[in-house]
Amino acid sequence: MANILQEIEQQIAGAKRGVAKQNVGTVREIGDGVAKIEGLTDAMLNEMIDFGNDIYGIALNLEETEVGAIILGEYTHIKEGQECRTTGRLLSVPVGKGLLGRVVNAIGQPLDGKGPIQSDTFYPVEKIAPGIIKRRSVSQPVQTGIMAVDAMIPIGRGQRELIIGDRSTGKTTIGIDTIINQARMNRAAEQAGDKSYRPLYCIYVAIGQKQSNIVRVINVLEEQGAMPYTIVVAASAADTATNQYLAPFAGAAMGEWFMDNGMDALIIFDDLSKHAVAYRQVSLVLRRPSGREAYPGDVFYLHSRLLERSARLSEKAGNGSLTALPIIETQLGDVSAYIPTNVISITDGQIYLETDLFYQGIRPAISVGLSVSRVGSAAQVKAMKQVAGRIKGELAQFRELAAFAQFGSDLDAKTQAQLERGKRIVEVFKQPQYNPVPVEVQVGVLWAVQNGFFDDVSVDKLKDCQARMTDYLTSRKSDLMAKILKEKALNDALIAELKAAVTEFKQTYR
Amino acid sequence: MKVSKEARHVARSLYRDSLTDGRLDENKVRTIVSGLAAAKPRELIPILKTYERLVRLEIERNTARVESAAALDGAMQQQITAQLQQIYRRPIAAEFGVNPELIGGVRVRVGSDVWDGSVANRLRELGAAL
Repeated sequence: MANILQEIEQQIAGAKRGVAKQNVGTVREIGDGVAKIEGLTDAMLNEMIDFGNDIYGIALNLEETEVGAIILGEYTHIKEGQECRTTGRLLSVPVGKGLLGRVVNAIGQPLDGKGPIQSDTFYPVEKIAPGIIKRRSVSQPVQTGIMAVDAMIPIGRGQRELIIGDRSTGKTTIGIDTIINQARMNRAAEQAGDKSYRPLYCIYVAIGQKQSNIVRVINVLEEQGAMPYTIVVAASAADTATNQYLAPFAGAAMGEWFMDNGMDALIIFDDLSKHAVAYRQVSLVLRRPSGREAYPGDVFYLHSRLLERSARLSEKAGNGSLTALPIIETQLGDVSAYIPTNVISITDGQIYLETDLFYQGIRPAISVGLSVSRVGSAAQVKAMKQVAGRIKGELAQFRELAAFAQFGSDLDAKTQAQLERGKRIVEVFKQPQYNPVPVEVQVGVLWAVQNGFFDDVSVDKLKDCQARMTDYLTSRKSDLMAKILKEKALNDALIAELKAAVTEFKQTYR
Repeated sequence: MKVSKEARHVARSLYRDSLTDGRLDENKVRTIVSGLAAAKPRELIPILKTYERLVRLEIERNTARVESAAALDGAMQQQITAQLQQIYRRPIAAEFGVNPELIGGVRVRVGSDVWDGSVANRLRELGAAL
């Protein structure tokens, strides 16, 4: 037996001295961030190609006699005739809790000047989404803190909910508000020592945005104290198309680490329209055949494989989740364009924002009729289900009646009451930005609306009344709010207590 | 130079015709090139350039370029050639050259495969590791 061991050791010693085979190629053409390389016969799809001097590329086109690779970073230093080699590695990014509070680029390098990333775990950027066996249905809520969303278009952990709308209709704000609310809830649970609460970590991926906008988002997150629970992946408009194309995949890899380790994460892709444009550029420069609107044929697969990676895992697979909130910008409200229809069909629902509503002062400008969450009330706490169950229907009825009421003034008392209630519901759902409302307060306010406590308040005074009531509930009735949060459902005793509290408030309000 | 799809297609089929038992046949290549030059089809130059490239890649695939810092003796050359044929299991023609930049050791390239046992490469690897 000792001889065998000696032989193995000899082999190991020989291997150490020996020369490893490398696969090399010669750059034949370079430009627009894409290199055409002759040789590299062993290159694999998506493999990293080493150009020397810390410049890497990714092999995207494997052709008969050449390889098309996109270059990460500065491509102007690469010269025609230069030698490059395969690495046998896939592009990976650092993952883990060390990234929280950091701003990184598409390949996980820090951009915030806070020193190197503290992480020794790496995940490949492209990864196959969890399979059917590992998944379970969505049942836990993501509290966005936006009343209209939490009440009517609930989002669950592991869901993919699209935020869609024209430019400057508040799409990013919905994402930022959600991040801020998660940070508040995470911190509150930490301070209370609540072990049962599952913190939700957030990843904000900025794709092709102005750097000034990205800075503004980071400043807001810092001011609101949300950065300790958030990772920002930035590929601005000044970055190469390659980096913009890779950024959401890098963000998804960072989110997957949380999911694989039994934690919950939320990822916001802001926005996938610009991502599709960056991918179109890369594909056209690689001379891939173009299809509708010059997008390549696999632009649907590009987004479907990205969004499929968000999932709710079963208990056996660790019980983690990754929720995705992709954002799509439409042109003049056209949801039937190519990329919007693709992403609508991939996601589990959409929050549709309308310019008209935005300028009417209804902010967030969510169009209730066109917005939907296919997960539905499975992702709501029971108390919210109890108070918000009928609200979407009532609001839809109100819109119909309001359109009808424009033609005549003689309305019966019941219609009149429905209209008045509708106006108040619309008013209640108006909410300033960066000001998420805790779920227990939402339940209290919506219960009051449902039970007619706001019916005698004039519409123009309603916001003031709601603010004071919120104040009253959070300061004077904090015990009741804590009970609602703990019980997560309204039983008879709680309803009686809530009724007493709201009645008491109404007596003092004038 | 832009090469049309048709030219590429013609060049590829001519290349296939230049093979005998999967190996490049020099006589066939000569016949094809002279025949092309005489027939002067449309896009003659793109066809010839693409054909030349395919032939060049095939020749490179079957040729080992062995560089060393100092000239190798006959026995060493034979040993290297025999080992390469053992690895690839097909006849490999070896071209030997001297490259003082390697400092020491040998660098062998067959197609896009490279065995770099030169001192210069080891120093470069050491530098990267440090």
